[in-house]
Amino acid sequence: MLRTITPRNARVKRVLKNREAKTEENIKTAIFIRGSQTSQIVNDALADLYMLKKPYAVNFSKKNQIHPFEDQSNLQFFSQKNDASLFVIGTHSKKRPHTLTFARMFDHQVLDMIEVSIEKGIPMRDFKTPKSAIGMKPCFLFNGDMWDQNPNYIMFKSMLLDFYHGQTVNKVALAGLEYVISVTSGPMTSEGKPGKIYLRTYTIVLKRSGVKLPRIEMVEMGPSLDMTFGRIMEAKPDVWKQSMRVPKELKPKKKKNITKDDMNNTVGRIHLGKQDFDKIQTRKMKGLKKRAAEDSDGTEKKQRVDDSGDEE
Amino acid sequence: MDVSAVLEAHKQKFKSVSVEGKVIPLEYDLGLLAAYDQNPVEEAELKSNKDEYLQALTRDNAQLLFNEIFQLQTISDDNGVMAMLPNPTTLLPREKPLPKPKPETRWEKFAKAKGIVNRKKERMVFDDATGDYKPRWGYKAINDDGTKDWIIEVPSSANPMEDQYAARRDAKKERIDRNEKRHQRNMEEAAVATKMDQKAVNKGDRPNMDNARAMKRKEIENQILISKSSTASAGKFDEAIKGDLKPRGIKRQFAPTVADFSKEKAGNMSILDRVVGKNGEDLVNVRKAIRATKRQ
Repeated sequence: MLRTITPRNARVKRVLKNREAKTEENIKTAIFIRGSQTSQIVNDALADLYMLKKPYAVNFSKKNQIHPFEDQSNLQFFSQKNDASLFVIGTHSKKRPHTLTFARMFDHQVLDMIEVSIEKGIPMRDFKTPKSAIGMKPCFLFNGDMWDQNPNYIMFKSMLLDFYHGQTVNKVALAGLEYVISVTSGPMTSEGKPGKIYLRTYTIVLKRSGVKLPRIEMVEMGPSLDMTFGRIMEAKPDVWKQSMRVPKELKPKKKKNITKDDMNNTVGRIHLGKQDFDKIQTRKMKGLKKRAAEDSDGTEKKQRVDDSGDEE
Repeated sequence: MDVSAVLEAHKQKFKSVSVEGKVIPLEYDLGLLAAYDQNPVEEAELKSNKDEYLQALTRDNAQLLFNEIFQLQTISDDNGVMAMLPNPTTLLPREKPLPKPKPETRWEKFAKAKGIVNRKKERMVFDDATGDYKPRWGYKAINDDGTKDWIIEVPSSANPMEDQYAARRDAKKERIDRNEKRHQRNMEEAAVATKMDQKAVNKGDRPNMDNARAMKRKEIENQILISKSSTASAGKFDEAIKGDLKPRGIKRQFAPTVADFSKEKAGNMSILDRVVGKNGEDLVNVRKAIRATKRQ
């Protein structure tokens, strides 16, 4: 077990180094897999989601015997082999028709998974509209009041952001904002179960508005998916905690003596040092004026003599 | 001159950038270019004309999001106008655990204890013999330790027949070998350290050469034992070698026939408990078991 894998050449060495754990991580790669049985709807959805995720995506074109909620060894293997940590698995069966399973890995182990069934899907190619370029950063919109209430919605939101947010950057080209992924949560079902979700993708058209801000117009780009939630596997609390750790280097540095109050105003605290009351400038008054030097000296001397006399 | 009327007329020509009818203001995570609209959706609209409603809703929210993005501080560079984004507020899980600190080498440990600070050496050094700069090591390197001298004085104590060039070369090679060995040792210790990490490093155990050796020894012993039992007879007819390893842990134990049976009973009960007892539900698929017994 002491054997360490030594790279045979510089290229392999670079690749292996790139795969190591880092403080600032690479963009997560996603693998799109077809299960043993798929439908046309699922295939189209997978292809479209793959197009949106490109170039950080791997498409498995062959079918795989894969049941993520029963056996995760396949996913672990694929994750290790491709250095990927996101999965979309498309399956279709009588019990669970047109199903997509979104899975996330941490340290090549499954972290969490969520299953959605497509009720109605329109692929990208059916919209005869301009498409966004490959690898552009999308904007996200989550509409509806469910997105931070139900675990299904919370996970789906986190999953979608994780899939498509790309590199975390500190600046973005305004001209490069080309498309929006909009997800709307429908109302809960009458049994109190999570309702439908509507995923839509639009390209953005910026129009002149007469003011500095542009007027936004949207053209549907596709895919358009109406989905319901299926099974869910939440992350184990301890693993989740580990995966959410922020490296010390990336934590924002605390600025001393600057705080925000309840009204979001910045408040500063200044240290002035000790005040010397002898040198403080007060209001000038006649009574506080220093007397002539000789006069004060005389009285003081007299007093001192008196004091010493008392003590003895 | 009042130009407000002109401005108003100019504004009328365009569609507005303001969005009305949001009871709850949107939450933004500009680091991820995301907006969260907490206002409940209109169910009747969603049912009757879904796609139009969704598009209108998205347009309004996108307008609000873009208003926020376009109000951010901007800079211009080669890629055009760039908006400076704040850090994302929505935290997403990492892909891999945080990187572990690299195990220290022996020298690093020693230098730390002694307070020795590493000084960066220049790669090119001045060569007095030729009067120009040469690499400190590698191809066309400077004359290192006199191995490239064109003449060497034979020391009075040395054997006059000895090749002084060969002696210097050997000395250098020996130094390199020694360094290589130390490098190897550091690597092994580091491997042990990372392995210890997984188990219980922070009990106070520190990796050292003994640990590394012990670990390696155990590994080799295991491999020998496996190889011994991998003959056709599982090692039964192999000739015994003196001082050879004996497989351990395969001793059979027999309980006395007449004694206190409470221990035996407890052992059996624990097995039974595990199979059908309170924790046994997971181990036995009851439905399958019933079907199997019915078939018999």
